[in-house]
This record gives sequence, C-alpha cells and structure tokens, in this order.
Amino acid sequence: MVHPCRDLQPPGIVGPFGHGEARHGPCSPPTPVNDHHLLSAPAWCAWLLLVLVLVLVGVGEGCSPIDDAAAGGDARSITLGAYTTPAAAYGTSLLPAFRRHEQERSGHDVTVRESYLASGAQARAILGGFEADVAALSHEPDIEKLRAAGLVTHDWKAGAHGGMVTRSVVVIGVREGNPKGIHQWQDLARPGIEVLTPNVRTSGGAMWNVLAIYGAAIRGHAGTPRGDQDAAIGLLAGILRNVKIMDRGARDSMLTFERGVGDAIITYENEILVGRADGKRYDYVAPRSTVLIENPIALVDAHVDQHGSREVTQALVEFLFTPEAQRLYAQHGLRPVVEDVADEVADRFVPVEDLFTVHDLGGWPRMQQVVFDEGGVYSRALDQSRGAAQ
Amino acid sequence: MSLPLGHALRPGPLERALRSGLVLYIVLLVAVPLLALGYVGLADGPVQFWDRVTAPVARSAVVLTLWTALLVGVIDTLVGTAIAWVLVRYPLTGRSVLSAMVDLPLAVPTLVAGVMLAILYGPTSVVGERFGLWGIEIVFARPGIVLALLFVTLPFVVRAVEPVLAELDPAEEEAAIVLGAGPLKTFVTVFLPALLPAALSGGMRSLGRALGEFGSIIVVAGNIPLATLTAPVFIFGEIESGAPRVAAAVSTVILLFALAAYAGARLIEQRTGARRATS
Repeated sequence: MVHPCRDLQPPGIVGPFGHGEARHGPCSPPTPVNDHHLLSAPAWCAWLLLVLVLVLVGVGEGCSPIDDAAAGGDARSITLGAYTTPAAAYGTSLLPAFRRHEQERSGHDVTVRESYLASGAQARAILGGFEADVAALSHEPDIEKLRAAGLVTHDWKAGAHGGMVTRSVVVIGVREGNPKGIHQWQDLARPGIEVLTPNVRTSGGAMWNVLAIYGAAIRGHAGTPRGDQDAAIGLLAGILRNVKIMDRGARDSMLTFERGVGDAIITYENEILVGRADGKRYDYVAPRSTVLIENPIALVDAHVDQHGSREVTQALVEFLFTPEAQRLYAQHGLRPVVEDVADEVADRFVPVEDLFTVHDLGGWPRMQQVVFDEGGVYSRALDQSRGAAQ
Repeated sequence: MSLPLGHALRPGPLERALRSGLVLYIVLLVAVPLLALGYVGLADGPVQFWDRVTAPVARSAVVLTLWTALLVGVIDTLVGTAIAWVLVRYPLTGRSVLSAMVDLPLAVPTLVAGVMLAILYGPTSVVGERFGLWGIEIVFARPGIVLALLFVTLPFVVRAVEPVLAELDPAEEEAAIVLGAGPLKTFVTVFLPALLPAALSGGMRSLGRALGEFGSIIVVAGNIPLATLTAPVFIFGEIESGAPRVAAAVSTVILLFALAAYAGARLIEQRTGARRATS
C-alpha cells in the first residue's frame, strides 16, 4: 500500500507538526441548531464530506514517516529532535561525520532528519507526538519531562558523563573594547547599563543565566555575602532593572545585541565564540563565578522501539561522545565533556575561577522550586526590580 | 420556466445542504475552538481562574493591553475619519496610491511590521538616537507598543468611513449652506450624524484587533514583565513554559473584551441600519 503521507512529508527538516496535528478525538456532534431543516437528508452530503475529510486526515496521521523496517529492527533512519544552539554543529559537522562513520563501519547509508526548536518547545513537541528517536536538549528538566511521560525509559544519566554531551558557561558579552568596564555580575546592576537576557518563560538559556547570577551571589562571588538569599535576590533585581528587552530565546537575544542594542548580553559562551569566529566585533568576559552549562542527550526508547531504529540511534549517541565528535563540538564553541579533548582545546575557552554546577546548588528539581516557581527567587527579584523602578 | 415567488425563502435540497455545511463550517472553525479555550481556562474552577488572571504579571499584562488598545481605538477613530475625509473630498494627486497604502498594513505580516519599526525607531537608528537624546524612548518602551498597534489597525476606520462619505448626498450639504449654516454647523448637522456610526464601529474593530496583536509587539515592546509585557506575549510565554491553563485563562479574558468590542461594533451598525431605514 502506498502511504499517502510519503508524498506530504517534506524532505529534510521535519517540523514538530509534521504529523499528529490532527490528533483530536473522534468528531464530536455539532452544537444543536434550532432550525430542524438543517439536518434534512441532503444535509448528510455535507456530513459525508466532513467524515471523508476526517478519514483522510486520519490516514495521514496513522502512518509514521519512518516505518521502513519497523518489524525488522534495523532501520537506517534517525529523527533528531534538538534545541537550536547546536544546530550548525549538528547540521554541518557532526551528522555528516556520523554518516561517513556509519558508511565505513557497516557499509550502510544512514539518513538523519533534523528538527531544531527552543529546548522547551522541542520537549513539548516530542511529548505531543513528534517521534524523535533522540532528544538533544538544553537542560536536564526537559529530558526529565520525556522520562516522566514514559518516552525515555532507560536511566539516561547512567552512561559516561552523566548523559551530558556538551558543556558551556554563562558569560557576559560586551561591546568591543569593553567601554563600560563590565567584569563581574554586580557591574550589570550599575545604573545606566543596558542588559539583554531572554525571557525565562520561553528560553532555556535564560534559566541558565538566572542560575549563573543566583549561584555566583549565593556562593559569595558577586559582591554579596555568602549564603545570603536576600542579597542574591537584590543583585538579581538590580540586573533585571537594567534589562531592556527580553527576547524569546538566546539566539534572538544575540541578534538584538548584534543590531547594536544594549551594553551587555548575558549568554552562552558558544554563542559569542561562534559570532566572533564569524567576524562579529564584540568582546566577552567571564565573571569570577559562573555556572557550568551541561546539555543532555537521550535516546527516546518509545520511539526507537516503534521505528526499529534502536541500534542506529544508539550508534549515533555513542559517536557523539567519541573524541572526534567532541572536537567538532569544540569547533562550534561548545566545551567538550571528554577530558582528553577538553585538555586539548582548553586554550580556546576562558578560565573561570569558581565554576559551579547546578548539582552544587542542589540540583535541578530544587532550583526549579527555589528559583523559578511562583513566589521563588526570580519572581521576587522581578517584583523588586519593578517596584524600585516606579 | 419562471421560479415561484419567495423561491429564495424556501431553499431546495441543494441549498439546504450547502447552508448546513456552511453553518457547520463556522461552528467547527470558530465556535468549537473558542469554547474549548474557555473550557480549559475554567477547568480548575473559577477561583483558580481568578487567581491566575489577577497574579501581578498577568494582571499588569492585561491592563497594559487594554489601555493601549483603547488609546489606539480612540486615535484611530479620530485620525482614520480625517484620513477618509481627505481621501474622499480632496482631489489629491496620487490618491489611489495613498489609498492603497492605507491597506498595506493588512498585507504586511505583522512580524515584518515590528522589525521595520524596530529598525527605524530603535535606539541605534538615526531617529531613535535623536529621541533618545531628548530622553524619549520609542521602541522597547510603551510608545513602541502604541506605534505598532496604530500601524496594524490603520485601515479599519478609514475603510469604514470612506464609503459613507462617498455616498453622502451632496444636496444635503448644499441645502445646509444655502440655509446659511457655516462650515462647522454643516459638519455637525450633516456629516457627523452620518459618519459617527461608521467611525465608531471602525474604532471598535481597531480596538478588537489591537487586543490580540502579537507579531509586531513581541519585536518592539521589550517584553519586560510588569512593564512592557502585553497580554498576547504573556500568553505566548505561558504556553512555551508549559502552563497552558494560565494561558487559556488570560486568553479568555482578552477574548471577552474583544467580543465586547465587536459586539459594540455590530450594535452600532444595526442601530444605524435601522435609523437609515426609517429616515
């Protein structure tokens, strides 16, 4: 049988709504209308048409784009659901390298379909039916969402490096020559400094930024006493007061900065490194204390079993941890997790005096509760920043 | 063969099928999604709904959206009427070009409109820099929101008032002048009663459109919670962060105001329709 969606499926990038968009329940009966003539015999023509449409849509939904060898268990096709930051790294370096690698190893061609969305949106797309075989997201909580939904069933943190495939740090991007003399987090709270950071409600990167400031303050490295929660909130409020624009995501925020808006941007180190490699003229500073960003990757058990692609997907995940792949990540400004490679490329990255992890702060679930939940550090800092401004 | 009188009132089977099909179309396309939204918004009960809508960030976003939309509705009503007046009454050169430009905001994707405004009035642009020296921020502040809304709602009042003005019987105006009325009195007695309903209903549509504007706002507003975050952008953030119920609750509130605006517009149109028929 010819699958109707074979032709509909666009080649290359598969959006999260490529399939499953018509996933409603069975058609509910229409709202009753007073006119009893409405459903006279010929009116069933209209109903028939509707049912026909629903059936067609249903067929489109039913067929998965990757069912070549669902029964055999040796599919040669992978769907990657990733966040946007490493899009260039995957698209231009890592996936072509993996294909060559697989060609040599097994003599088979492998195709990888790529989808890039903001981390939270990507996690939601996968939860909503986007059948990614492997999820590469910005932070642990987004993978945990997949685990909670039963899509990731293995202990994804059990592997080498705790399931984290790349690292980066939160830094401060400044104008060329650092005219405003910004070096530490507390400099961002000075009056008259315009700061960019994305919205924490939409951006995983923004959450890392807030954690970097909060962690540095609570550890006593940002001009605040160690362990003083109120002082940490005060610093965060001072910085938030200087934030002029909260863009949707780290990439948008960087583009705003590149348009010339703002004195400083809080962002991933790799965004800055990629921009500078591209010829953009701005500098950056690493504050004395900042957070080590760790980006997870996990095979999505439910989908690889459904597609029969477990073996090839597992090969991809393992490949990404090889020195070769880790070096390619480093070329795109991301810090490698493999020690040897990290030592090799250490001179490309600025040293940080006090580099802490989310684990040092008590782990993601605790940070979610203390910092990001309603009434937490972030919302209190936000209130405080606006209260003082008006 | 001639059709019997009242043929249009007694539809044949084909028309009936078509009619019920279209009713179904509207119900499925508009009513069902709206009801679903209200259902999700109220799913946790009215108390939760109220708490969500009155939380500081949500409330400030709704208030900002309401007053900017209202302001834009008022400005559009006044300026839009004036533009229609100029377009109809004066033989401007290039009038057709000008008239087409009025419709342009509907054709331009609003995201593009936002980028346009940000480039033109942004703090690094020539215009933005000059205003910045005077201490006036346009983009990434509230004026930017109003500016973007004025752009995207421009056509509504102009297009509502224009046909009314064009169809006005010149005899009435001539009569007023012949009877000795000055320009102001002529305007108040002849033009205003005819224009007002169209201008008001156009203004209501502007307001309704402004309540929901997202594409241009997210670019020009700055989106700072409690300051420049509008309700649509807030709703977007809640969806993105996996809080669909909060999003639905605030959406429901905005929707109610938009419905009220459109109902107001319909009411004004019907009233004037009735008045026209009897006069």
